[in-house]
Amino acid sequence: MKQILHIFQKDARHYWRESAASIVLMAAYAWYETRGWAAEGAVGYDVSAFRLFTSGFLSGLVPVLLPISWALVIVRVIQGESLVGDRQFWVTRPYEWKKLLAAKILFILVVVNLPLLIADIFLLSKAGFPPMHYLTGLLWMQLLIALFVLLTIAALATVTASLLQMCLAILVIALYLIGMVSLSERIPSSSFSSSIVDSLQSVLLIGTGMVVIWWQYSTRRTARSRWLIAGFGFVLFLILVATPYRSVVARQYPLEAGQPPVQLALLPAEKPAAENVSDKEDDVQIQIPLSVSGMTDDSLMTMSGVMVEIESPDGVRWNSGWRSNGTSLFPEQKRTQIDFSLKRKIFERVRGTPVVARISVALTVFHDRNRREFIVPNGEFVMPDVGLCTSEAGYSRNIHCRAALRIPSSLLITSDLSQTTCPARKEEVRAQSGEIARDWHHYSDSEPAEFGISPVKTVDFDLRTVNPTDARRLNGICPGTPLVLSKPEQARQTRIELVLNGIRLNDYRLSPTRRFTFER
Amino acid sequence: MSSDIHTENLAKKFRKVQALNGLNLDVPEGAVYALVGPNGAGKTTAIKVLMNIFGATSGRAEVLGIESTQIRGRAFTSIGYMSENQQLPEWMTVGSFLAYLRPFYPSWDRDLENDLVKQFDLPLDRKLRHLSRGMRMKAALASALAYHPKLIVLDEPFTGLDPLVRDELIQGLLERAEEATIFISSHDLAEIESFASHVGYLEQGRLRFSEELTALVERFREVVLTFDAPPALPDRFPDTWMHLGTSAAVVRFIESRFDLERTKGEVRNVFGEARDVTFSPMSLRAIFLAMAKAGRDADRGNSVKAELRPGMEGGA
Repeated sequence: MKQILHIFQKDARHYWRESAASIVLMAAYAWYETRGWAAEGAVGYDVSAFRLFTSGFLSGLVPVLLPISWALVIVRVIQGESLVGDRQFWVTRPYEWKKLLAAKILFILVVVNLPLLIADIFLLSKAGFPPMHYLTGLLWMQLLIALFVLLTIAALATVTASLLQMCLAILVIALYLIGMVSLSERIPSSSFSSSIVDSLQSVLLIGTGMVVIWWQYSTRRTARSRWLIAGFGFVLFLILVATPYRSVVARQYPLEAGQPPVQLALLPAEKPAAENVSDKEDDVQIQIPLSVSGMTDDSLMTMSGVMVEIESPDGVRWNSGWRSNGTSLFPEQKRTQIDFSLKRKIFERVRGTPVVARISVALTVFHDRNRREFIVPNGEFVMPDVGLCTSEAGYSRNIHCRAALRIPSSLLITSDLSQTTCPARKEEVRAQSGEIARDWHHYSDSEPAEFGISPVKTVDFDLRTVNPTDARRLNGICPGTPLVLSKPEQARQTRIELVLNGIRLNDYRLSPTRRFTFER
Repeated sequence: MSSDIHTENLAKKFRKVQALNGLNLDVPEGAVYALVGPNGAGKTTAIKVLMNIFGATSGRAEVLGIESTQIRGRAFTSIGYMSENQQLPEWMTVGSFLAYLRPFYPSWDRDLENDLVKQFDLPLDRKLRHLSRGMRMKAALASALAYHPKLIVLDEPFTGLDPLVRDELIQGLLERAEEATIFISSHDLAEIESFASHVGYLEQGRLRFSEELTALVERFREVVLTFDAPPALPDRFPDTWMHLGTSAAVVRFIESRFDLERTKGEVRNVFGEARDVTFSPMSLRAIFLAMAKAGRDADRGNSVKAELRPGMEGGA
């Protein structure tokens, strides 16, 4: 322990500037964060344009500078007793590598983790949450940052001899990531995230980081450690190109054997694009409208992924691969649509001919549970399972909330539009009784805290009707609006397939103008 | 006498370069052992393998009875290491550097530290980065001596230093020579000669000879034969003769295993009676140069021969 503290004290004396800069940035981050809440909460926040700009600029800059300052601290303190090379004075001194490693970990804990924990406690407290109640979650956040950020930086610092080398390593990694992203766009189904593949990649990242640090401190065989990092990159590449994505999805979302949880059927095309496909368009957007029926009253689901296969009589075959989707389906919903894009060359070959389209939909089915009524109070109020919220009848007409550690993994807000207490605006008409609007927040993870610097998360709840009409309905959440809150629970994952015979893709083509409107 | 350093067939290869090639070395306890050799001979590599800075490709080594692969941490409380190109924490002052190292060594001697600071005239409040090369070496040496190490390992400590600093360093070393074994690699043969007790000659990763300095100097002689008329160079001559050459009526060579009676007899056998025969002792530098030249000549395929001591590596 004596040696650990001795090395720690030396580092604390030498790297006080870097440490101070990091701590000041942490304090600035906490300050801007609380100012941000004030700005969000204040009606008519009265500041000059210049102050708004500088404040916004700095508040945007600080979250970028803060991790950079952490990286600088970690790189400097690890490279202070560099593990690369054969000329460092300390390798022929009675340093015990475990104690040296422990001293470096202690320094990072004190200079990075401790200020972060203090800032998090301050932010929680300032946001109105008792910090001690969220201690487990706070420690979980620390663990996530330590494993996914600090460990990675530390591992790179152990195999580089200087700040310049570290920057070069980061540049190489950035180029590698750009390459991997562009490669993944060319590999069908790879963008449809699989929890198994994601978990495997996370475990590999953490494992590689730990092994590199252990190896470097125990043996200082830098070439071997660098090869390990390169090997990790190669394994990620292999996972990307060799994962049998379709089999993984098929296993994760087995084909529905009995009655499907929802029935989808083709609807006639509304307004097919009249004009020809422009030469400037590389891709042609297709939108297939579908009717929705057969959902039970307490069920709701998300279309987690969609795969479209096209087959024309003259032998043209095309497959989109699995694509993430995320569209929600509710019991009262009457229609939905599936969007995909085709290469112009392929579209031109099949546009006029009736084709067979096979649409596979990976569904995650939820059951609506724990329903309870909730009337939106005036001013700041506690919203169950969320946190501290406000609602106002002015411009936004929503609920704005601050949540501790994470946004609820599953929360559904349901409202009968006819009962909204929001005042009508020009041309708005009051909805008839029974017109439902919803907002559903759900995430696949249920960890005690989200990854991030701040433990205070902000979330807005806005109501949306699932069966839009032409008329402008009076919509929104204002004080006094009755809501039904519920926590849908995931029941199963399944897959349904829809075969559309003899459809003409040209009828379902979105014109660029419509697409633009649609995307907005 | 036991060895503080012992190696067996130690080899180290960097990709295609064989830096050490079956090194067998013994440094007796209490010796001041100088490892000499031309640039690229493998001196620094040998030291770094001994200090476990590198791993060996094959073979083994023991330092103070510890396998070299286990030389780390506490083992360095008994070893003082200093190298010409060691990276010191340059941001520290001399004083803070010594103070920082102090708690690492249970046997750190504050009085000795003060003596060394005085002896080397070290400016305690000056940062290491602001010191001259000589001063930095002195600070490094002071930090490597202040805990009474049993073994002092110095890698080219005198390179690039002015004579005054060299003298100071050597003086500092000699004062500790009685309580420690000193293993030093150097080009500076004149300085080595003044205090080394043993010398080893390393060339192309092989130890060509290793023996006590007095014995080495004793067995090398520069021989000058003067004849009345220019003699013909013989086709055959003893293996122990090096760099045999003539200039008019004078023949010169280096005898690498000098024994007055035997050498006189061999001269007579090869050349007959000479008008004048002189046997001059050689400096370590002259011996080193003769060996290095012999090595180079052997590489070029010349038939220069030198007999080595029994148990050493094959002849050049």
